[in-house]
Amino acid sequence: MALLRKKPAEEATVSDEDVAVSVLGLTKRFGDFTAVDAIDFDVRRGEIFGFLGPNGSGKTTTIRMLCGVIVPTEGTATILGTDVVREPEEIRRHIGYMSQKFSLFQDLTVDENLRFYAGVYGLDEDAFAQRRAYILEMADLVGREKELTANLSVGWKQRLALGCATIHEPDLIFLDEPTSGVDPTARRHFWDLLYDLAANGVTLFVTTHYMDEAAHCNRLAFIYRGRLAAIGTPAQIKQQQMPDSILEVEVDDPERALEVLDSSHAFVEVYASGTALHVNVGRALAGAEAIREVLEPAGFKVLRIERVAPTVEDVFVHLVTAEETSSAEDAGGPGSGDSPQSSDQPL
Amino acid sequence: MRMKRVRLLMWKEFLQLRRDRLLLPLLFIMPMLYLIMFGYVVGSDVRNLPTAIVDQDRTETSRSIADAFENSGYFIIEERPLSEDAVQPLMDGNRVQVAVLIPPGLEADLERNEQVAVAIVVDGSDSKTASVASGYAQQILGDLNAKRLEDLGFDPDTATIDARVRVLFNPSLRSVNAMIPGLAALILMLSITAIMGQAVVRERERGTLEQMFVTPITRAEYLVGKIAPYVVVAAIQVTVAMVIGAYWFRVPFNGSVLVVGLGLFLFLFTAIGQGIFVSMVSRTRHQAQQATMFIMIPTMVLSGYIFPIESMPETIQPLTYAIPLRYILVILRSNWMKGAGFEALWPQFAAMAAFSVVVFGLALSRFHKRLSD
Repeated sequence: MALLRKKPAEEATVSDEDVAVSVLGLTKRFGDFTAVDAIDFDVRRGEIFGFLGPNGSGKTTTIRMLCGVIVPTEGTATILGTDVVREPEEIRRHIGYMSQKFSLFQDLTVDENLRFYAGVYGLDEDAFAQRRAYILEMADLVGREKELTANLSVGWKQRLALGCATIHEPDLIFLDEPTSGVDPTARRHFWDLLYDLAANGVTLFVTTHYMDEAAHCNRLAFIYRGRLAAIGTPAQIKQQQMPDSILEVEVDDPERALEVLDSSHAFVEVYASGTALHVNVGRALAGAEAIREVLEPAGFKVLRIERVAPTVEDVFVHLVTAEETSSAEDAGGPGSGDSPQSSDQPL
Repeated sequence: MRMKRVRLLMWKEFLQLRRDRLLLPLLFIMPMLYLIMFGYVVGSDVRNLPTAIVDQDRTETSRSIADAFENSGYFIIEERPLSEDAVQPLMDGNRVQVAVLIPPGLEADLERNEQVAVAIVVDGSDSKTASVASGYAQQILGDLNAKRLEDLGFDPDTATIDARVRVLFNPSLRSVNAMIPGLAALILMLSITAIMGQAVVRERERGTLEQMFVTPITRAEYLVGKIAPYVVVAAIQVTVAMVIGAYWFRVPFNGSVLVVGLGLFLFLFTAIGQGIFVSMVSRTRHQAQQATMFIMIPTMVLSGYIFPIESMPETIQPLTYAIPLRYILVILRSNWMKGAGFEALWPQFAAMAAFSVVVFGLALSRFHKRLSD
């Protein structure tokens, strides 16, 4: 009996030291719909882990399981050495959580919000005074303590929400699309705060659909239709998952040019990237000529075609297309798109 | 459950309530509005009913019956047609709402010691007026009979004048006496169901509900912290309504605070359960409003608060047993006016307790399940 108990305990202490999140075969089904399908991954302590995927791919469901809010159908998840199913309350004391809604009480003042969350985590007066001063400074809210949260700008709300979620100095913070709807300057400022936290040894588990933010992460996992499509550092992902060449095309009417290129079926993928178009030409070398041959006869003025290094976004567009093609083939070719499995998936 | 966290949640809820520009005034205006509506408008006594008297007897007795109606204050004799046939057109034209038909030979029959009947015809298009009018008529004839008995020396064989009307349950004939006691339960239910629904759904809309459950706050702490402030508010509303009812509307309180209090306490759990249900099925505050209306309308109509259950079609009557308000109304009305105690009201208390357990229990399990899926 003693032997049996000792072994897992030893394992736990080993993993405790460098693994913050450990997920094995984690699955969540809602009726017939599998939201998260047997995913495995580890998050190391002190890293910024980016969890990416389109809307409805299972990101939020995964986070909610990891926070112990919902119970997994199958599989296990260990957070800071504690099992989420067995001891969700214990875990909730040591993690922070911030969602895209910022979850502040809009009709409370800055100070009241801080006091509420301090009370929730059981901070004493001294600890609260110290954390309050720190957070007000960090969020640039000194002098606005008595303002109603509803009247703050989005950037301030976002930083206050981060402050509330970290008031108890958690070792691990889950951030579910924390920058959604925030202007680029505020996003930049916010990421600086996240770097500071990571530098202090805090593990950050971040979901985002801004692909440029993915580059800020130490490691990335890409979830699509409930399954992990890729995992690794941004560089690894680009190398391993992206054998194709990407050409950036600047053209006078990109919107219409996109349609024309897409309907020509001569390229692997065509999509907008900023004001330009990105064309995945597969492994072809003479892609630029092929693009001109399609666009110029149609009356477009091609301003520039340039081979670019694939960005994380390029990789994910590629992964999604590859998944879609392979799942269509798995299900038996044409008509499979109407199968309940794929039409149920909100994208 | 940590009391410290529950107090924290209550503190937060009161702060939010204090700053709510819509909810707070509503909470104070609502009981007043209901008191006015049910105390004055719905509960006001029916008076000055336009009436036709068809006196086919034309004797001293028949004239005394007509006078009694005229002097009661409830009826105004507008017409004195000679035959029954004239009544129908008068009613069709809305010239009268009530007709009193005194048959020929009434005095002679009475003197031979035979029972006689006076027919009271009421315009049924307004059921409320109709039933109140019948009650008044019954009362007037009852008084006449009593006086006759007195004059004839209380001979038990004395023939009396019957009124062909149904007996109303409200003996003092003041409908406000039935309205005001029930108001306490009505306000409690409207307040708790509506506001609980709004308050929880607001948190869901803003994402703070989601946030609460990734903190150490447990579901039980959250629910207690959420409900308690509104129970305090509802208790104040109910007290205000009862005090105004007893003193301003002069509905004498002959009951016991314990019976009324316990009844309302049991009913409170049903109301809270309904509030939780509303907040669970609603994604937006607008939906919560719709869901509240969905519960409220059958409750108002079928509970017997406005329309007497006895006057409902027999096929509908069994449905009223499924309305929790029905039982607390009986408790409040019987205890307030007649002082009925537990020995008389235990079936209602048992029903209230059963509803509390079932509705509150189901709501809790649904609340738990909804959040863990």
